[in-house]
Amino acid sequence: MKQIKRMLRIHRIFIAQELKRMMEYKGDFIVGIIGFLMVQCSNLLFLWIIFSQIPDLMGWTVNEIIFIYGFSLIPKGIDHLLFDNLWSIGHFTVRKGDFDKYLTRPINTLFHVMVEKVQIDALGELLMGIALVCVTLPSLSIEWTAMKIILGIAVIPFATLIYTGIKIATSAIAFWTKRSGNIIYMFYMVNDFAKYPATIYNNAVKWIITYVIPFAFTSYYPAKYILTGDNPLYNIGLSVVISIVLMVIGIIIWNKGIGAYESAGS
Amino acid sequence: MIYVENLRKEFKKTIKEPGLLGSFKSLFHPKSEKIVAVDDISFEVPEGEILGFIGPNGAGKSTVIKMLTGILTPTSGKCTINGKNPTVDRKSYVKEIGVVFGQRTQLWWDLPLRETYGVLKEIYEVPEDRYHKRMAFLNEVLDLESFITSPVRTLSLGQRMRADIAASLLHSPKVLFLDEPTIGLDVVVKDNIRNAIDYINKTEKTTVILTTHDLADIETLSKRIVMIDKGQNVFDGTISELKSKYGQIRELHFDTDTANVEQALAYAEHFGISDDVVTTETDGKSVKVRFNSSVVPVSDMLSYTLGKINVNDISVKDADIEEIIRRLYKQGVQDEEKA
Amino acid sequence: MKRKLKIYTPFINAGIQETATYRVNWIFYMLGNVLACFVSYFIWKAVYTSSGESSMNGFTMPQMVVYIFLMYLTSTMVSSDSAYLIGEEIRDGSIAMRLVKPVSFNGTFLFQEIGNKLMTICVLIIPLVVGVEIVRVVFTGSVQFNFISFLLYLISCTFAYLINFFFNICFGFIAFIIKYLWGVNLMKNCIVGFLSGAIIPLAFLPKPLEQVFLFLPFSSLNYTPVMIYMGMYSGTTLLYYICLQIFWVVAFWGMSKLFWRICVKHLSVQGG
Repeated sequence: MKQIKRMLRIHRIFIAQELKRMMEYKGDFIVGIIGFLMVQCSNLLFLWIIFSQIPDLMGWTVNEIIFIYGFSLIPKGIDHLLFDNLWSIGHFTVRKGDFDKYLTRPINTLFHVMVEKVQIDALGELLMGIALVCVTLPSLSIEWTAMKIILGIAVIPFATLIYTGIKIATSAIAFWTKRSGNIIYMFYMVNDFAKYPATIYNNAVKWIITYVIPFAFTSYYPAKYILTGDNPLYNIGLSVVISIVLMVIGIIIWNKGIGAYESAGS
Repeated sequence: MIYVENLRKEFKKTIKEPGLLGSFKSLFHPKSEKIVAVDDISFEVPEGEILGFIGPNGAGKSTVIKMLTGILTPTSGKCTINGKNPTVDRKSYVKEIGVVFGQRTQLWWDLPLRETYGVLKEIYEVPEDRYHKRMAFLNEVLDLESFITSPVRTLSLGQRMRADIAASLLHSPKVLFLDEPTIGLDVVVKDNIRNAIDYINKTEKTTVILTTHDLADIETLSKRIVMIDKGQNVFDGTISELKSKYGQIRELHFDTDTANVEQALAYAEHFGISDDVVTTETDGKSVKVRFNSSVVPVSDMLSYTLGKINVNDISVKDADIEEIIRRLYKQGVQDEEKA
Repeated sequence: MKRKLKIYTPFINAGIQETATYRVNWIFYMLGNVLACFVSYFIWKAVYTSSGESSMNGFTMPQMVVYIFLMYLTSTMVSSDSAYLIGEEIRDGSIAMRLVKPVSFNGTFLFQEIGNKLMTICVLIIPLVVGVEIVRVVFTGSVQFNFISFLLYLISCTFAYLINFFFNICFGFIAFIIKYLWGVNLMKNCIVGFLSGAIIPLAFLPKPLEQVFLFLPFSSLNYTPVMIYMGMYSGTTLLYYICLQIFWVVAFWGMSKLFWRICVKHLSVQGG
């Protein structure tokens, strides 16, 4: 308990430092946020043009598709906002030997790396995701129950951990290979599949994004539960289980990786 | 205090075969070879000592330091500080040590220096009142006041180094590791930093392990030296022991009007020794003769020289530690070339 | 000319070596991009199934498949990092060094990037072109490959690359105003992606918008080469778009020279 309190305190202090840093580079952060907003806008424009020519996509209405799309941006945005420093581990921190710093500090290395930076650019994604969900919800005629509201919100942190767990595991590969940035990139590309309903894919792809690289549980399955109320045990429960399993795998690989870390130079 | 026993570290290095075909091969069948960076190193350091840890480039110094600071996991052997082992309990171990890598900074680059200390205070769990006292003390020793509100990226190298040393001392570590703390600094700043290290060692009994290529650091700060080469201990002892063991080298300086001194004197022939034992350098009138006093006693050398030619202003000097170490390093290199 | 090329061969070599050194990383990068193509493929498949029509805005489903993968090949072939490189130089001040070096820095960038690309092109072009042709044979029942179209495609790609290269050089000068290159680059790539047809074929846009986009330089980057390969342009239309490409090459080349002049003035006034 005391341990958790201390971690939260340190996390708060790191965030405060990051906010101070942002004040020094205000313009840059606005540019970054607008950049990410624009990427999302161009994807929406794409959906909008497509839907101007067809009534529905394999039985999904435009609002349902945008709801799933928006829901997918929320956990992705949170992970991106809070834990993006893992990405730099795969790209250069290990290769340049800068990981030394973390090992000489009396706190857990993974925790230290995860909370050290805040990637404010991600607000572009996160805000867009929240906006899309809010705009589409009223037109979806969902039967609301207390359980739906609770589960729909509670699943978000777990969906976030699916991203984080995969990022920990893939960035930790750099402890052996020196750089793993593009492995992370590849996994993120797989994540593009998760922005749309899994029913538009063939069985092989559907199976992969459900059981192999389970990005479908970050958005499609939870969103499906909110839309239909079907099978909460599978749609929500499995998201929770998978997120925990992925985090455990990520942490195991990370801890093994630290033993293999070779630093750099002399 | 610090015990290092039979420390060994091996690295795996992938071998690249030449050519495009080789690249493809190593993509699917990577071959690797074992590189022994640290073979077998042992030493002890008692509390409050400043140990000079030296060796030529590639000797394994940094690898040893990284194992001692918990960054690298040893292949075998162990090191303990106050009975704590970094591979077993890294977090409580690193609380007892402070680390400064001269080539890297642990300061928050974009923020005013003061912020770094604020964060480190939390990471190392330094209580509020102790933190204020500590900052006052560090400020007095390292003179941080003038730049503590400047962003770290605007500091000069000397300021940055002082700030980094202060950062490593904030949690009052029992052991301080300094890896090249004076690299790239000018003479005055070097002096300031040496004085600060000396002061902290004296007032707080902080044990210091110092690696450097600037032997003046060692001469002013440490009484004891551990020298390693190719991953093995080469020497362990005080500076005076080093001098008496390897320091039989003396230098004879004199001025003379005699032309062709080297032929006139012909030390090697006279004493029946090899050219390695005695070397002569001339620069106009002044002559420098370097010889091993255990083979040719100083008195013989003097009387022979004075009897042979006309000499002004003669003197005999101990070779300085730099000269000794240069010889040792060179010997190492020569051994390697022979092998 | 020959002598000039000789000066730059080391830069081509350096580019090839660079890619070879980080090949594992590079393979994963390529794999990631191919996966993104498959995402588009499935969306379009769903779109065609849902629309119930065999052709939308002049594209049949097999043509759309060809479009998606050719678009990937083309955008990889014509991509350029020069905006980022020149922006970095402006940011760290090393752009002043260009004034004292005897070789043209635009030239060294250009040739190093070509070296970088050679490996990518060699690895990608054969499987993608063969794959695309197999798709066409399966759907139409006859061989569609047209060597002349393919040759014209390669020529068009070369112009496209030059437009992109000089456009990015011009764009890189923005670093004098905005420091956060990564964010600015993200915005640029997003807009260019849309205007060049990389996200959706321009034929799917409302007609007036399509006409404007077709004249803008960005359609020359990806859309024109792909349309040429697919045989959608022929005769005078083909000639018109090739001429438009040449016009934009010259325009951006001139603009990059102009910006460089202004930059030199700026440097000599500010002292770097």
